[in-house]
Amino acid sequence: MINSASTEEEKKVRETVTKFLLSSINISNLNNDDNLFESGIVNSLFAVQLMTFLEKTFALEIGMDDLDIENFKSVNATTAFVMRKKSWQKAEAKP
Amino acid sequence: MQYLLTEQQKARHGNFKAFVKENVEPFAEEWDREQKIPESVISMLAKPGYLGCSLPQEQGGQGWDTVTFGLLNEALGRGSSSLTGVLTVQTMVSKALLKFGSVEQIQKWIPLLAKGEIIGAFALTEPGAGSDLNALATEFTRSDGGYLVLNGVKKWITCGQFASLFLVFGKLGDRSLACLVPREAPGLEVEPIRDLMGFRAAGLAKLAFNNVEVPAANVVGKPGFALSHVAPVGLHHGRISTACSALGLLRGCFEESIAWAATRRICNQPLGDIGMIRSLIAQIGTDLEAGGFLCHSGCRAADENLPEAFEKAVMAKYFTSRAAVRAASDAVQIQGAAGCHGSSPVSRFYRDAKIMEIIEGTTQIHEHLLGGIFVGQTHRS
Repeated sequence: MINSASTEEEKKVRETVTKFLLSSINISNLNNDDNLFESGIVNSLFAVQLMTFLEKTFALEIGMDDLDIENFKSVNATTAFVMRKKSWQKAEAKP
Repeated sequence: MQYLLTEQQKARHGNFKAFVKENVEPFAEEWDREQKIPESVISMLAKPGYLGCSLPQEQGGQGWDTVTFGLLNEALGRGSSSLTGVLTVQTMVSKALLKFGSVEQIQKWIPLLAKGEIIGAFALTEPGAGSDLNALATEFTRSDGGYLVLNGVKKWITCGQFASLFLVFGKLGDRSLACLVPREAPGLEVEPIRDLMGFRAAGLAKLAFNNVEVPAANVVGKPGFALSHVAPVGLHHGRISTACSALGLLRGCFEESIAWAATRRICNQPLGDIGMIRSLIAQIGTDLEAGGFLCHSGCRAADENLPEAFEKAVMAKYFTSRAAVRAASDAVQIQGAAGCHGSSPVSRFYRDAKIMEIIEGTTQIHEHLLGGIFVGQTHRS
């Protein structure tokens, strides 16, 4: 049950991230592993907009320790980062 | 657009305007002429907490929202663009540091910046790198002793003449890097830049870094993220500040113009009865209203932590800085010869307004960015 719930949540996160990316960059098709930063399709505001979107949508706080291109380079990478970050925050919130 | 503000925001805006009327407007021309803001004035700005107004209370700031920060910039911009520049860069450095600094950096520097006990400067622009930040030539190299060694030249750095702490951007190999460098670091030379067209009292300087040793602990963020994350966060707050400051300058042009139009007589009638003068004032007044909405929208989006806050700030700065240039030109035109003399604030507004079209991203860079965003919306739909 836990695994299926987690998979379902991950799917929702992936869909939400993909929707934001498709509304933010000039591209009609985006594969889950396409590298956003190597493709040259993003403008100079994109990185901070993506960061702000993730903070706002998933109630995360992104800081210095999270600055790793592996966390944001693609839909799959960003989804995995959000899932990790949410699980850390849940663990920290437990008494 | 007062109806969009809360009672607290309105009250604070009233306090800001009263502060500027008493402490800034009477002296702005003198600061501009002397090309210097007295230290006592910076202290006066620090005392009510203005220099750290948007920083968290637990870090020594006031914890005010971005809308209120914008109103402060608007009020200060009416009085002196140069003085507002101090708040602009203090906020750029503080916000970038607050977002991407280490716990130790935040604990050490933010309370000092928030209280105005030190002044920060955002050392990004170089003689050969303004709009094209990828052309940065400032270099960090790693030394055997665990230090970073900094070499390079920064130019047009606002507050550089008197800042105590510089947030310096450069390259470590092929990766961008941001680093805190105290003014007293051996090998750092500060050369004042005088005789600018506008922002003459903003303390601009050229900084030369000659084998400056910087502890690795002073790196802000991580290598590779200085231009994609650290600088954009600072520049975002710089654009909000500059947009609202330009709005204040617009208000100055409007107020000076309507006052002149009401009292100056020509051909036995008030100047304001002449249709051509009314046309100029109509344009200034409408730009003032439109700019107010754009600034408010940008500030609100920042308060809501919305991703679109970044482009809204670009839009606000793009609009108000261009409108300020038009308004200042028309305000001088309305006053005629009197507007061309230093005794009239509009002559200073005219010079300062042009600078606003250049700082924190030129008009053309903003058009490139916004044009791409708008064209992309069509593509996506």
